[in-house]
Amino acid sequence: MNKIILIIKREYLTRVRKRTFIISTLLFPLLYLGLIFGTGYIASKATSNLNIAIIDSSGYFDSGKIARENAADSSAIFTLVNESPASLRSNLSKSKYNGFIVIPANLDWNKDNSKLLTLYTSRTIGMDAAKPAQSKLNRIWNTVKNEKLGIDDSKKAILENNIISIRPNNVNDTKANSETASVMGYVCGFMIYLIMLLYGSQVMMGVMEEKTSRIAEVIVSSVRPFQLMLGKIVGIGGVALTQFLLWIGFMFLIYNVTKASGNASAVSGVLGGVQKLFGSIDIPLIIFCFIFYLLGGFFFYSSLYAAIGSAVNEDMREAQSLSFPITIIIIFAITLMSAVIKDPSSPLAVWGSIIPFTSPIIMMARIPFGVPGTVPWWQLGVSMITLILGFIFTTWFAGKIYRTGILMYGKKPSWKEMIKWAFRKN
Amino acid sequence: MPLLELQNLRKYFATQKAVDDISLSIEKGQIFGLLGPNGAGKTTLIRMITGIFYPDEGTILFDGKKFDPLHDIAHIGYMPEERGLYKKMKIGEQTLYLAQLKGLGKTEATQKIKQWFIKFDMESWWNKKVEDLSKGMQQKLQFVITVLHQPKLIILDEPFSGLDPVNANLIKDEIYNLAKNGATIIFSTHRMEQVEEICDHIALVSKGKKILDGTVNGIKQEFKENLYKIRFDEKVLPEHLAIHLFEVKSRSEYEVVIKRDPGFTNNDILAYFMNRKLPINSFNEILPSLNDIFIRQVEGTPTARQFQEVQ
Repeated sequence: MNKIILIIKREYLTRVRKRTFIISTLLFPLLYLGLIFGTGYIASKATSNLNIAIIDSSGYFDSGKIARENAADSSAIFTLVNESPASLRSNLSKSKYNGFIVIPANLDWNKDNSKLLTLYTSRTIGMDAAKPAQSKLNRIWNTVKNEKLGIDDSKKAILENNIISIRPNNVNDTKANSETASVMGYVCGFMIYLIMLLYGSQVMMGVMEEKTSRIAEVIVSSVRPFQLMLGKIVGIGGVALTQFLLWIGFMFLIYNVTKASGNASAVSGVLGGVQKLFGSIDIPLIIFCFIFYLLGGFFFYSSLYAAIGSAVNEDMREAQSLSFPITIIIIFAITLMSAVIKDPSSPLAVWGSIIPFTSPIIMMARIPFGVPGTVPWWQLGVSMITLILGFIFTTWFAGKIYRTGILMYGKKPSWKEMIKWAFRKN
Repeated sequence: MPLLELQNLRKYFATQKAVDDISLSIEKGQIFGLLGPNGAGKTTLIRMITGIFYPDEGTILFDGKKFDPLHDIAHIGYMPEERGLYKKMKIGEQTLYLAQLKGLGKTEATQKIKQWFIKFDMESWWNKKVEDLSKGMQQKLQFVITVLHQPKLIILDEPFSGLDPVNANLIKDEIYNLAKNGATIIFSTHRMEQVEEICDHIALVSKGKKILDGTVNGIKQEFKENLYKIRFDEKVLPEHLAIHLFEVKSRSEYEVVIKRDPGFTNNDILAYFMNRKLPINSFNEILPSLNDIFIRQVEGTPTARQFQEVQ
């Protein structure tokens, strides 16, 4: 027992003290924030506003209406011009316009006008880039129709603003807020997915390092192979947990600092949203479950990764091809997650959150929807027990493979051979 | 009382009888040579002694009691043929870690490591990493790690490979020293001249079976072929050698190597030459080298071990 603690300590300390750990711990939240704000910024900058000439033969589009819309929305600028389509077309590249639209004379306000107008452009643009122009044109068209129908601004406001919306509300759990729960579920599931993949492969690499540097043989003459494997898994699990807790800590630190300086910056805005979200759900339960499923899922998968690491030689490709089936299952769980978040009480969601291969991700995606409203207590209990049984099984199974594999050099074994190792007597 | 006794050990793998009924007895304080061609089953045998493998059949007695890997491995030091250390870990830290895994307390381990490092001129290595060391330096470090916890049984697999003569002597002296202080040493190698020099006792293993076991001298006596080298002060002529007492194996101007006929004694031969008035300078028995015995014993076995069916 004492020896396992020594091993855990070494695995933990050598990793936590590494420069890469410190850098990734600090950099990941920054990169993540950068990604969120950066993509938003780029998206807002990337689309340049279209400057479009309107050639109107129908007489509906007058300069007053266009000017009013231009003032309200500058995502596309319309200018009424009096040129012939042919001359504008030939001079378009040299003109100040990006494109032009010809409104035909036969456009009729009370007929079916689903026929397409064409936006002639000097360069190829996508449908998305044409959207602002289309919606603007429609707004002007609506104004035209409203005038014809005799709808004034107050009636128009009633038409446009008086909208009925529905919000799902579970009668068993009136506190649940499905919107925040979806976000929360997605974030939790995704975090577990990331940690299982990243730290699972760290376990695999760690085992491979011990095998290829041949220190495994020195160590297994002092401790049981199973102790060595378990020590490594627990140590690396500790690193994952440390990193996660540090991230949470940073988040609250940044939040408090920005709040104290009275700066309602974007960051504190996001965190304010996070805190509002926390108000609507059972935070202690979620944190408890998150840590449970994080560690449970990590143990479940990392012991399989350890078994693979012990079976292969230094060749990274061997390791990749052998770990492919496992990685696929984890990826399958994350794809399943979006379906589960749409309908967190479906049979798919229930089974996915009980089978230990997917339960860490799927159950964590469901829990924010509410316990016991969406996830009854019995399901949570069964899911936790199967996960515990699951990781006891995988650790036992992996231990058997590990014991043989760690001292076996030469050809890469197949999964079939590895299973044979597992069920062979000592 | 022997420190280690192996009784009818067997270990079969799927395609190989790696160890097939081997019994051995190793006395306390002995330097025991475990010899055998590649793939003979030495490593498997050693792994059973170090508790890494369980034997399929047979018993191991350690210090008079049934071998209990969980506790007894604290009294065993094993240096595998393929050396292994964490490349990125600092040397002092790593040595301390491995010593603690053997059950030493932290202060005790630190103190012992310092003693050994001073002895082997390694004090400046403490904060270096293993990847900074040359192969020979790694070897020295590995040796220190193996013997640090004062094991009763030390198993060294090819301890001199990659060492220069100076460092090889350093390790050799240390092996003698440890044996003198009561440690038992199993020394596995293919280098016969080292075995002859160092070991008191050897066992030869081939194809999973023990084919020889005894003291170095005893085995040489057993395999001797009654060869003698006689040196004369005068030139030997062919007519001097035409006699039924012996058969001439080789001859030069002043020297002959003969094989004595079993029906006669050395004195008969000496008397014969004295009668012929041929002045004898020296008369020596030629004992076979372990190398010769080794090659003769494993001759005929293919150089690489074949896979076999194990039922």
